[in-house]
Amino acid sequence: MLDLRIPTGLFFAATGIILSAMGVFASSARAALSDANVNLYSGLSMLLFGAFLLLLAYRKRS
Amino acid sequence: MKLAFVDYLILALYFVFVIGIGWTLRKRNKSAGEFLTAGRSVPVWITSLAFLAANLGAQEVVGMAASGAKYGIMTAHFYWLGAVPAMIFVGVFMMPFYYGSKARSVPEYLKLRFDEKTRGLNAITFAVMTIFSSGISMYALGLLLQLVLGWSFTASVLVSAAIVLAYTYLGGLTSAIYNEVLQFFLIVLGFAPLSILAIMQAGGWSGIQHRLPTVFTHTWTYVGHASENPMGVEVFGLVAGLGFVLSFGYWCTDFLVIQRAMAADSMNAARRTPLMAAFPKMLMPFIVIVPGIAAIALTKTIGSGYSLPLKAGGGYNYDLALTTLMSQFYPSGMLGVGLTALMASFMSGMAGNVTAFNTVFTFDIYQSYIRRNQSDAHYLMVGKMTTIVGTLLSVGTAYLAAQFNNIMDFLQLIFSFVNAPLFATFLLGMFWKRTTGNGAFSGLLAGTVAAFTTWSVTVAENKGGWLANLHQFPSTMAQNFWIAIVAWSTCFLVTVLVSFTSAPKSHKELAGLVYGLTDVPRDRNTPWYERPVTLAVIVGAALVILNLAFR
Repeated sequence: MLDLRIPTGLFFAATGIILSAMGVFASSARAALSDANVNLYSGLSMLLFGAFLLLLAYRKRS
Repeated sequence: MKLAFVDYLILALYFVFVIGIGWTLRKRNKSAGEFLTAGRSVPVWITSLAFLAANLGAQEVVGMAASGAKYGIMTAHFYWLGAVPAMIFVGVFMMPFYYGSKARSVPEYLKLRFDEKTRGLNAITFAVMTIFSSGISMYALGLLLQLVLGWSFTASVLVSAAIVLAYTYLGGLTSAIYNEVLQFFLIVLGFAPLSILAIMQAGGWSGIQHRLPTVFTHTWTYVGHASENPMGVEVFGLVAGLGFVLSFGYWCTDFLVIQRAMAADSMNAARRTPLMAAFPKMLMPFIVIVPGIAAIALTKTIGSGYSLPLKAGGGYNYDLALTTLMSQFYPSGMLGVGLTALMASFMSGMAGNVTAFNTVFTFDIYQSYIRRNQSDAHYLMVGKMTTIVGTLLSVGTAYLAAQFNNIMDFLQLIFSFVNAPLFATFLLGMFWKRTTGNGAFSGLLAGTVAAFTTWSVTVAENKGGWLANLHQFPSTMAQNFWIAIVAWSTCFLVTVLVSFTSAPKSHKELAGLVYGLTDVPRDRNTPWYERPVTLAVIVGAALVILNLAFR
């Protein structure tokens, strides 16, 4: 049976990496009403969440 | 709103993952039971998140932000007064009968408990309503994407329907449920930053309180009289109509959500499904309603740079609160995630409809009335075909809705008349042995007629009252709540009266279906945190705290 934490973790890790990269390399990209580097913060949170799910799945396997 | 390459990349990545999950699960499709009911083998953390996500369609997300902007935090009554108490009730008290009866669907439970005609009535109305609500939400999504992004209506409708069809056809209910979990996380992670950014911009919760009339930041203080709050509801109509009849009617009887709990791998897991779902459910207002409140606060602040768009005929276009906030607060990249989250919410709602429809059609309509006693492979084939046909019918309904908007409003009104009395039937059926099939059937019909009659003789915002104008409600919401109260009470009374005039089923036939004739599961050997009653107490306490904090 498929361990759902693996695809979910992979999806958020990948999205997190894309967003964090945007946050670092296109750091001047800002929305009209926000001064925060939204991409960087959300990207890192998503990456963290994805990594956490993958870690749980990995620990169960080994 | 203008999308960049990276936004499309994230959307495409999401499409790849949902179809990929369906593809990985395609082998779990060997029998009708596996395809349509997930073979009762799904872990509880997955069923509980799917329980939430199936209800969290795009209309819900967009609509809650709109209501937040229009009515303020009172909108949270739909969660803190409505949904959560009903979820506690279904988990603790009703799930033992649904799961224990071995029924494969809610209509089938009615067949076991009552008789064929009650099942038929429920199955057919449910099937029709499911297709229509799926089509209507598809229409709403297509319209929104056309307005905000300039995408073609046909392209949005067809692409999103094709993807939902692909993964539900490949992996059946298991695939729909697994994807709903991914979609749920995406909805939370995609919309939560918006809530945070919009609140910060409005000066935090205290800033919002400062900028708006106090009624927008209180749930209970202004419900003493209908004229005090923008919803136009008073405390009895609110508590009895929304808190009791409407939300218990939905969360305790609607197969769309119950199906998720019935797919769980044990009785204990089935009972814990709605209870564990209640924790994130309680917090959803902070993600879906609060951004709307921040939007109206920013609109009322001169020089904030944000304003809700206006409708052609005047007044704010509240339905655009969510998407306009996204375009103002999300840069390219996060904008793609937000848009993907909107798509995800639409798909989780639609997959919920499609998987509930194919199960009810296959087991309760086809197997019961069209062809009995066929092989399992035959019903598996019918289930798969129904998945395709159901999706096509939804697409057709979306176009119908685009053509005849008023008819759709009217249909949704009729559906609400059919749904309003349902909870009385289930309550009596599960907790009173004497209830008979004739009682249940006539009670349901009488309740629906009573709902229609109430609507015909009362007026609210120029709606209803085509027969007479006996009473004027301050708002259509108040009218809906009272229609529900009348329908429920009528159904309850008629069911009881007719039950006394007809012969009940024997105790042997009712074993496992009614309170008092069913072994209530004992939790002595389960740890405290896995006991439904303990969880219910914790959820209840948290709920009281939330209601007090925002009173």
